[in-house]
Amino acid sequence: MRLPDWAWGVACVWLRYYAVLTKSVVYYLVTTFVEPLLYLLSFGVGVASMVGALHVGGTTLSYRSFIFSGIIAQTLLFQGFYEGAFGAFVRMYYQRIFQAIAITPITLSEVLWGELIWDATKATVAAEVVALMGVLTGEFAPASLVLLLPVCFVSALLFSGLGLLSAARAKNIEQLSYPQYLFVFPMFLFCGVFFPIENLPPAFQIAAWALPLTSVASLVRTLTLGLPFQIWTIPILAAWLGVLVVLSRHAMIRRLVK
Amino acid sequence: MSAGQQPPLRAVHVSKRYRLDQGGEFEAVKDVSFEVAAGECFGLLGPNGAGKSTIIQCISGFYPTSDGQVFVAGHNVWTEPKRARQNLGVCNQEDTLDSDFNVFDQLVRHGSYFRLPPKIARERAQRLIERFGLGDKANDPIESLSGGLRRRLQVARALISEPSVLVLDEPTTGLDPDARRVLWDILTEARGRGVAILLSTHYMDEAERLCDRIALLHKGRLLDLDTPERLIDKHIGRREVEEEVRPGVVWKRAPNLEDVFLKLAGHKLHAEDA
Repeated sequence: MRLPDWAWGVACVWLRYYAVLTKSVVYYLVTTFVEPLLYLLSFGVGVASMVGALHVGGTTLSYRSFIFSGIIAQTLLFQGFYEGAFGAFVRMYYQRIFQAIAITPITLSEVLWGELIWDATKATVAAEVVALMGVLTGEFAPASLVLLLPVCFVSALLFSGLGLLSAARAKNIEQLSYPQYLFVFPMFLFCGVFFPIENLPPAFQIAAWALPLTSVASLVRTLTLGLPFQIWTIPILAAWLGVLVVLSRHAMIRRLVK
Repeated sequence: MSAGQQPPLRAVHVSKRYRLDQGGEFEAVKDVSFEVAAGECFGLLGPNGAGKSTIIQCISGFYPTSDGQVFVAGHNVWTEPKRARQNLGVCNQEDTLDSDFNVFDQLVRHGSYFRLPPKIARERAQRLIERFGLGDKANDPIESLSGGLRRRLQVARALISEPSVLVLDEPTTGLDPDARRVLWDILTEARGRGVAILLSTHYMDEAERLCDRIALLHKGRLLDLDTPERLIDKHIGRREVEEEVRPGVVWKRAPNLEDVFLKLAGHKLHAEDA
């Protein structure tokens, strides 16, 4: 079967990234898995020993289970954002890869879809490996790996869009620190990765729900720990996904095409 | 007229205006038209800022034209980018080599963007590496190559799809004389195979030596377009011109394109205000 030209173009870009990754597997493993492992050890073992059972959404669960599922959401955020922001900035600004590919039959639009889908794939794999560790340690049921897949991919695409938008707007690589400190770190700390957002004052809870990571963490916990499904997570994520993917592509095209 | 009967490259009344960050627009190219025939080397000659790179970005379909159209092998590069670019090899002025791949893999990978089957891409990459004198560098990383070799590789990469149109933006800028000569030989060979070559340069000797016809550009406008000999005859019309090479020392020499440019634009090709 011959892929349509546009799908083949996107696949070609994805395969280029995959080929590069296979050249530096150790670097990939270290930069992808050391961080979530350290969080799991620090919070899942160290902090968990001081925290008793948690009561979340009418369910009682261990802090270790809570943090394990939170780290899945955090992995999606960090891996998606960093690959989309720093990875894409290096490829666009220093390596000029977008510019080199987009004068072949592959269009810039396809290059950017390839970039976003690659970033999301990488983040999804990382999050699934964290989930697999949860399954192996008995925190989650094996079926959760399959159930998580679409949620992980959509969430990763969203955070990759945030990264790519940041890369498109940054004048230099230092400026990527702005979205990192003003958007990514606040989400990481206050959107339900480390503690239930019900612990926050009401106004802060509303702010936390407006940010996408809270919905991601909520959905991940529904699928891994059986916590109640909160239906508003779907429109929140759909809105963020739409806005970030559209804006990131538009901003990058506007930056490169005069 | 069918695509097959048209010249491989046609620029028709191309104008390009840029948005300025501070507001307003800047017109970088104003109503430029030309055609390049198969086996012809066509030069865009002008100082920095003449609009050469902008025209090339419009030809590659990376920038849209503000007015006018560009056709490669009969296909409009903006409305049919895939078909047009399938016939187009581009060597940008800036180094866009993919530093994540070595010399050989670089060519094969670039071939994949043109949907070349891997076996054919590898065969072509091997041939290009031999022809471009990169045989002993095939497995070397890009960072280890000299400026001249990188440029050669970038031209080789533009040829991996065996395009009918080859576009090169200042391909020899920054190269030493030997490296320039090697590249000139490669371009002459490609032209011999029937490739239509568009070359932008601000080196007068390069344009005179390589190009069958030359478009003289100044501030985005086409000053004149003809063979180097006819441009000199038309605008200078003498067999000798005088040039003060040092204060008080005047040499007589044959006129060249620099003299033509000076006459038409009012300053030399490398003048500061360009």
